Amino acid sequence: MAKESFDKEIQFLRMLVLTSGAYSRQQFAERLGISVHTFDKTLKKLKEVANTLLEQPPEAQVQVFTDALRSNYYESADPLLLFLFQAKSLKETESLRISRILAALNNSQELTMKDLLDICCSGLDLDSAFPDEKTVRGDLKYLEEVGAIVKGAGPRPYRYRLNNNLVRQLSREELLDLFDFVDIMANTQLPSVQGYLLRDSLKKELIRQDEEKQAIEPFLYKYHYYSRILDEAHLSVLLSAIRGRRKIQFLYFSPKASTSYASQNTNPLFERESGGRTETALPLKIVYDHQYGRWYLLTHSKHQGIRKYRLEGMLQIEEGEAVAEELFLAEKTALEQKISTSWLIDTGRPVTVRAKFLNPHRRGSARNFVKERVLLQGQWGKITEEAPHFFIYEITVNGTTEIKPWLRSFGSSCEVLAPGQLREELMAEWKEILDYYESF
Amino acid sequence: MNPFEKIFNYRVTSRMEDTGVFLSTSHERSWLKLMLDHPSAAAAFSGVTLEKLQTLLAQEAPLSLAGDLIHKGSTQEVQVYHPLMRVLRRSIQNHQGIQVSIGLTNGQPGPEQSGLPYRLEYSMVKREWYLLWYSWTRRDFMSIRLQKIAAVCEIPASPELVRTTQAEIQRILESRRQSAVIEVLPGYNKELSRILYAFSCFEKEVRYDEEKDTYFISLTYLGNEGEYVLSKIRFLGKRVRIVEGNWLKKRMRESALKALALYESPPDQTRPGQE
Repeated sequence: MAKESFDKEIQFLRMLVLTSGAYSRQQFAERLGISVHTFDKTLKKLKEVANTLLEQPPEAQVQVFTDALRSNYYESADPLLLFLFQAKSLKETESLRISRILAALNNSQELTMKDLLDICCSGLDLDSAFPDEKTVRGDLKYLEEVGAIVKGAGPRPYRYRLNNNLVRQLSREELLDLFDFVDIMANTQLPSVQGYLLRDSLKKELIRQDEEKQAIEPFLYKYHYYSRILDEAHLSVLLSAIRGRRKIQFLYFSPKASTSYASQNTNPLFERESGGRTETALPLKIVYDHQYGRWYLLTHSKHQGIRKYRLEGMLQIEEGEAVAEELFLAEKTALEQKISTSWLIDTGRPVTVRAKFLNPHRRGSARNFVKERVLLQGQWGKITEEAPHFFIYEITVNGTTEIKPWLRSFGSSCEVLAPGQLREELMAEWKEILDYYESF
Repeated sequence: MNPFEKIFNYRVTSRMEDTGVFLSTSHERSWLKLMLDHPSAAAAFSGVTLEKLQTLLAQEAPLSLAGDLIHKGSTQEVQVYHPLMRVLRRSIQNHQGIQVSIGLTNGQPGPEQSGLPYRLEYSMVKREWYLLWYSWTRRDFMSIRLQKIAAVCEIPASPELVRTTQAEIQRILESRRQSAVIEVLPGYNKELSRILYAFSCFEKEVRYDEEKDTYFISLTYLGNEGEYVLSKIRFLGKRVRIVEGNWLKKRMRESALKALALYESPPDQTRPGQE
């Protein structure tokens, strides 16, 4: 069977979450470069998954689905896009069989393949096919591989049991601590998807154990980029290529060009041949950008040197040939050196930026929010001078494009002193911004 | 560690829920093993539990990122877990009141206040935990850094008091809701993806005016988040314009005026703070 790809679903959900409600069905389909029919099919598939997991009403309109995916900050702590990772196709008979095996193992200590075969055959409808020994053996092998069950010690016939030590050996209080830890780490660290999946299972277990069914989600996370988990879908294949020092081949749609959500362009994300270009590159590093909640892949290619790609524009990623270890290490070291002074991923010429930050007027020992923020977010920059009313911050950074928005976000608490060009650019921008509100 | 495994299939997951099976795979356990290496694990568990978890996961290979995944543009990780969280999360879950003493600037504990804890909130921007709670002493819904709490203990609260306080919290949250509409200047439509990403951390809705080829982003936020919304708008600069929201407009105008005043004076002159 061809490997199931979720490229389409990922693009679909991303657009849905980012543009939340902006487009009609027709416009949405046009921008994704698909027919309205394909749009409906994709929506139907995703809705089926979401309805099963999120217990949503099964209405078929886009708006209802969009609303369901809109974060309701104080009411739901569940990561709404997680269901993407639960969308892998499975035949109804297979999902029934796997569920039966797991349920049977949950009820007894250990069972043999024969026991499980009997159980699988006993409960099925008469018209569905009975599984044979080979099928059940295959299921057990798969479940053992993913670590859901373990083979007991001892001679043949092998006995299997559920791998649920995490919940069996922890007290309820310990389980609650574990839930909290998993919740916190999944939300604050990367990667998150495996953590969210574990969080989901732990949450269900805690609800099962609690007769009063009390709410167990006391945590909120402010200013999270919800769609960041969509790109984690590519993480495993990219990490494995980096580990194996292998090149990858993929179809790339630059977000700046045709694939952006810009007006009349049809976005050919779903069309296999047109639009994107096939790229081959040696992946070196994956970068998560906290400023926008986006992912990048940094690569090397023989003719073009360092190349950067946005993960959201990469489709049909496939591993290619391996390169020599020395070559990989040389390129990786060269890249590390280059990006050591990138604010994000710019590998351009380093420049020294000097900025004067004005301390807020404050009474007594109130906090100096400006300085706190500069210290927390100013990366490797240093405060080189301090006076009662201001301080000077200095950083050597590759180009000024990436640091500029951050400096600008401080408004009139920040004045760029050098380089002169950046100072002029900011001055011009503030003039333009003032024009926006002149009539106000 | 491919997350698309058939074991995670939604039908299997939902059947497991019905039959009460706890399912965990080596993917998730490897992830957990990696996370247990984080310094915050020591604060999140008792020594006994942590040791137990490490023994349970002894057979798993930890998920290895080995510097292949790096972070950029992030706020320094000040705090991931705070020791008071274990007490507070239980009080929240059990609908109990709390008595809190907030540290004074001289390091001494301040006067005690009682109230109902509502949620623990982590700011991804400040990388710090806050307690959202309703203070019966001050009769107000407040947010306080856990770092500022000198002492806390649980106190009983009658179900009636809990109910009325919760209703009051909902009323306050509702009354503090603000909204604004931001226009993406059509000349920057090719950067739309980036702009929408930047706003994707807010509750928002997007409207597209096909005739004018213009996007409008309606944001909903709480009053005390206005400053953060502003810093986002300044972050994006001339790409966006506030079209609804007088307070934001006024502040943006002020920012622009004051910033220009700074730039129009010679660069080396040092002047006292303006804001």
